[in-house]
Amino acid sequence: MSVPPSTPRRHATYDTTTPIATPQASRAHSSSHIVQASPHYTTTRRHSLYGTEDRIILDPGSHIWKVGFSGEGKPREVSYADKDTGSPLWTLNRAPDLIDREEEDRLLEARLQTSLRAVFHDSLLTDPKSRKIIILETPLLPLHIKDMFARILFNNLQVPSISFASSHLLALLAAGRVTGLVLDCGHLESTALPIYSSRPLFPHLRTTPLAGSRLSSHLKALLLLFGTYHPPIQSLSAPATQYAPASARATRVPEELLTDTLVEELKTRCCFVGETIDLDVRIASAAAFEEPGTPSSERAMSESGFSGTSGDEGSVDSTSQQTPTSSGFSATAPSQAPSSIGRSPASEGHLQSLANLYTRSSTATDLRIRVEPPPSQQTGTGRGTLLVPGWIRERAAEVLFEGGDVDESSVAEVILDSLLKVPVDLRKSFASGIVIVGGTAMLPGFIPRLHAELVRAISPSLMQGATTPTGKPRRPRPSTHDRYAALRPLIPYFAILNNPAPPSPTTSRASANAGKSPAFTPATMAWIGGSLAGVLKIGGTEVAREKWDAADAQAEPDEDDPMDPLIQTPKPTGWSILPDWTRSPLPNGAPSAKAGPITQPVLNVVVSSPPQATAVGA
Amino acid sequence: MPPSIEFYCPCLASTPHPPPPHLASSSYSFHPLHNLFFCEECDAIRCNRCVMVEVSGYYCPNCLFEVPSASVRAEKNRCARNCFMCPNCRNTLTVVPSDPPDTGAAIVNTVGEPPFFLYCNHCRWDSAEVGITFEKPTGLAAQLQKYEDSAPESLEFERLKEHYEPHLRASPSTGPAAPHSHHTHTNPITAAASSALARDIPGVGKYTPHSSSVGRNRSSRNKGNYNEVPDYRARVEIGSSNFTMGGGGETDVDLMKHLEDMSEIATLEQRWENSWMTSLQTGDLKPLRIPLHSKKSKRCPSCRHILIKPEQKAQSVRYKIKLVAANYLPAITVSLPHLYAVLAAMRKPGKTPQLSDIESTMHAGKTYSFQLSFTNPLYDPIQVRLHVQRSLPSSSMAEDGGGPSEKRRPPFSVTLPSSAFPIAAYAEAWEYEDDEEMFGVEEDDFDGGGGGRGGGREQGRGRTKTIGILERRANVTVIGGEVAISKEARGNIKFNMLVSYTYRSDDSEPSEEQSTPSRAQVQNREPEMKTFSFYTAIDLGTIIPREEHKSDAMEY
Repeated sequence: MSVPPSTPRRHATYDTTTPIATPQASRAHSSSHIVQASPHYTTTRRHSLYGTEDRIILDPGSHIWKVGFSGEGKPREVSYADKDTGSPLWTLNRAPDLIDREEEDRLLEARLQTSLRAVFHDSLLTDPKSRKIIILETPLLPLHIKDMFARILFNNLQVPSISFASSHLLALLAAGRVTGLVLDCGHLESTALPIYSSRPLFPHLRTTPLAGSRLSSHLKALLLLFGTYHPPIQSLSAPATQYAPASARATRVPEELLTDTLVEELKTRCCFVGETIDLDVRIASAAAFEEPGTPSSERAMSESGFSGTSGDEGSVDSTSQQTPTSSGFSATAPSQAPSSIGRSPASEGHLQSLANLYTRSSTATDLRIRVEPPPSQQTGTGRGTLLVPGWIRERAAEVLFEGGDVDESSVAEVILDSLLKVPVDLRKSFASGIVIVGGTAMLPGFIPRLHAELVRAISPSLMQGATTPTGKPRRPRPSTHDRYAALRPLIPYFAILNNPAPPSPTTSRASANAGKSPAFTPATMAWIGGSLAGVLKIGGTEVAREKWDAADAQAEPDEDDPMDPLIQTPKPTGWSILPDWTRSPLPNGAPSAKAGPITQPVLNVVVSSPPQATAVGA
Repeated sequence: MPPSIEFYCPCLASTPHPPPPHLASSSYSFHPLHNLFFCEECDAIRCNRCVMVEVSGYYCPNCLFEVPSASVRAEKNRCARNCFMCPNCRNTLTVVPSDPPDTGAAIVNTVGEPPFFLYCNHCRWDSAEVGITFEKPTGLAAQLQKYEDSAPESLEFERLKEHYEPHLRASPSTGPAAPHSHHTHTNPITAAASSALARDIPGVGKYTPHSSSVGRNRSSRNKGNYNEVPDYRARVEIGSSNFTMGGGGETDVDLMKHLEDMSEIATLEQRWENSWMTSLQTGDLKPLRIPLHSKKSKRCPSCRHILIKPEQKAQSVRYKIKLVAANYLPAITVSLPHLYAVLAAMRKPGKTPQLSDIESTMHAGKTYSFQLSFTNPLYDPIQVRLHVQRSLPSSSMAEDGGGPSEKRRPPFSVTLPSSAFPIAAYAEAWEYEDDEEMFGVEEDDFDGGGGGRGGGREQGRGRTKTIGILERRANVTVIGGEVAISKEARGNIKFNMLVSYTYRSDDSEPSEEQSTPSRAQVQNREPEMKTFSFYTAIDLGTIIPREEHKSDAMEY
């Protein structure tokens, strides 16, 4: 190891309220005396548990964190980012107001600190001062959060070094490739990033907010509209009406019932991704069921009595028969929902027509789930029953595949958009080397469906429906149609490396790639890549604590003079020394002489960055 | 919520002044007294968010075995003996033998019949369901070890490592020689990228005529080392047909589609640590080894002195070193006399007090008295001075933030005695003469403020004296204060209070060091006085806005 073991020294950050004037050396000395009081203690102190080259691999999502040691095949611990609440640490939004944002950042930093300390002290049970850490970052991790990570790790936990590594690249390594297109479908956003020979082509990345968080809110909206809730029976002596037609007790789902925890559980335990609905059916059924007010929630409920599959054709008839018999809550029900979930009536109508469509095409069973009644309705005995229609389980994830929006393209379109941006010569390599990672991709059926969607989005049949043969758009959104005509020759080459059910390949290239990755779960692939990178010592550019402290000390005098509240840069410290692909490799005033002419911004993550060079020179 | 007080640890802030208490982020800077430490060297409060934590020993929380640190790593922080958790309910599993054969109970084996399995006493799960049985009832983890060693994810991982390693070893020699950073050398991907840059990049270079077949071009033309990385052949390919369950493929979709009961599917928490595709079903979950716990010693982040050092033995709950703030700072409790009156009134009809009723006792536009009781942990009497931090910083922030005009005025004002008041020294219980004022009684004493417990020393309160020293006894002093709530106030009554106390320093001569309030008995009575100050945040509860309680407002 080239870095000498750092002697314990006082850190600049800790302000003591009263000045102390004892030399550090004597303090360290005296403390070592205390240490030697217990022989066992000295042994644990001297022999570090892990080799110094064993890195800690941290995959910090906004929602779920995975931590472990490099060289191991699975993370030691996976947990919610905020263990207390289980809520995401950060979202895509920041407060627009400066004061609010500062408060938001303080809050985030405090929560981050709690989580990071728990990683070392509760999960890994290791001493942070001797552990180098590799942090997996998505390319769009906000810089202020990245800075926050570094600040907490260096200042509070005093880790010796941090390196940031691109999670997409690492996931690709775990799939056994160095070239490919990685789609990370996480909690906040889905990001597609092409990587060529282990170099991420950051300018070609594409992202969409259609990801786990959106799926959760969509699932919640669907349940509010179409789910059914049976409160617990009032008294145990009452006749058991539990399996009666339920019209007596069935109510709409109260919103406070659907806590984030419950929605998360439903999402992870009940939902899956069905196959593509045929387009003709889609159009036809959308036309047929366009009229508003069709009480499909009721239909879902009436079907719930049979636990088996609901008939595809027969359901329409049965609905029309049962509509008069079932009472009260059906027709007026949808009108209550939008206000509670903050959706416009237009989108509610949209949901309604979707429901009509999906109910017909879905064969999934309805589920009864025992749930705790919401606090406001703690009247009955025991638990209530939430009835989740089968089509919601199957089709909730459709929201991820519905594209068309300019800002929120579907996950398939994200891949295609990214493919459109990469150089033409590389498209085939990327198209046949797609890797899908991220927690949302863990939904059963997600990856096969995504493959189908990829093909569907660029297949000519869709184009005929949407555009005239001359390519003249018929609809007011011309740009969204036939965007992917240039990609159409790629159809036989599409191959998702970690597709569990690859379609029979048409080209040798696709057959060499589709389904050929190791059977790691999509959610942990990035972590495994990090573990791999850690053990192979390719974990990206290290930022050593000495560098950080030096930069910290430099920035210290500056910190006082910006009295202007408007120029309050979040934290000027460390800005220049954390490598990031969005930053120029030659930051202002950074003493970087060795950057070299070959360093381009694109390669900044993998090519050693200027601060590293100066670290050696210094 | 009953009124509360928390103590400020300045570890997070750059200034010694605490943040305004109404901010959500401030709650991370204030802690209950019993969570705080005190560094004698720095003369400062330390909290769990700033101390440096070191592991001083590992032990299994189930069998209390002290795991030597050498095996901690190999066992992945798990107990390597017989301790397992139920995968469903996280209860501890017990080892049970199989039923004895029916041939006759002549020979009674003391340990039971050989196929042993793990059994959950809570949910009746047993490991035979997933095909895990043992020949011996001891050393179960060792018997399971062979399965874990051959876990598919670790085998695949090793294979991946072997796949990449040769390319990485070869690359530093071919890498660019210019940067001498060891990272560049050890980072073959960097080297590959650099050497790739020397050539034209496919698709970018203008004159490269390999538009049609990148693949052929790769293998034939370039000798750049990145191209030498061949495609990896996985040990178990995810798309292979032998992967029937849990791959996220058709079988899983079918399973989900025909799901009858959500409990058949394992929860996310039960599955998310699996890095290998495994079954979704609850029935396939494997028993978990119990994670180890650690005994932690804590050090001051500034001077590295040990603040907390537990005894080594796992069974012991004592500490060798324990510098907790409760031994140095006066403990403070807050109470609202009128709240106790409300509580007492509610108790009389026999109905249980609702939490909401307790909260709704502070109405806007009224004035309430509150009491602070200080308990001195030191063996010396101390003089305490209180100072309420103006809520100006908070209100100025609020108006910057475009807050409504009501925020501009502080929503409440707090009156506390401004002069210093004494608290007697702490003494062991038997040193007090008047027995009736023992500890334990003092807590109950507060509701006497409303009810009037009588007694000679309480007559001061009979004269509705609310500000000032209300009571002094033993090492406890009760101080009264008042809070006047403005008419349009809303939110919580939360304010910061600076507590300064002066104590007699016992060791003035040892060095120039700042001495600390120590419990050590003073031998040489040189009256050198020291002052220590700390901030607290007091939360008296929620204000009921005036609009909602017009009827209450009518009363006066």
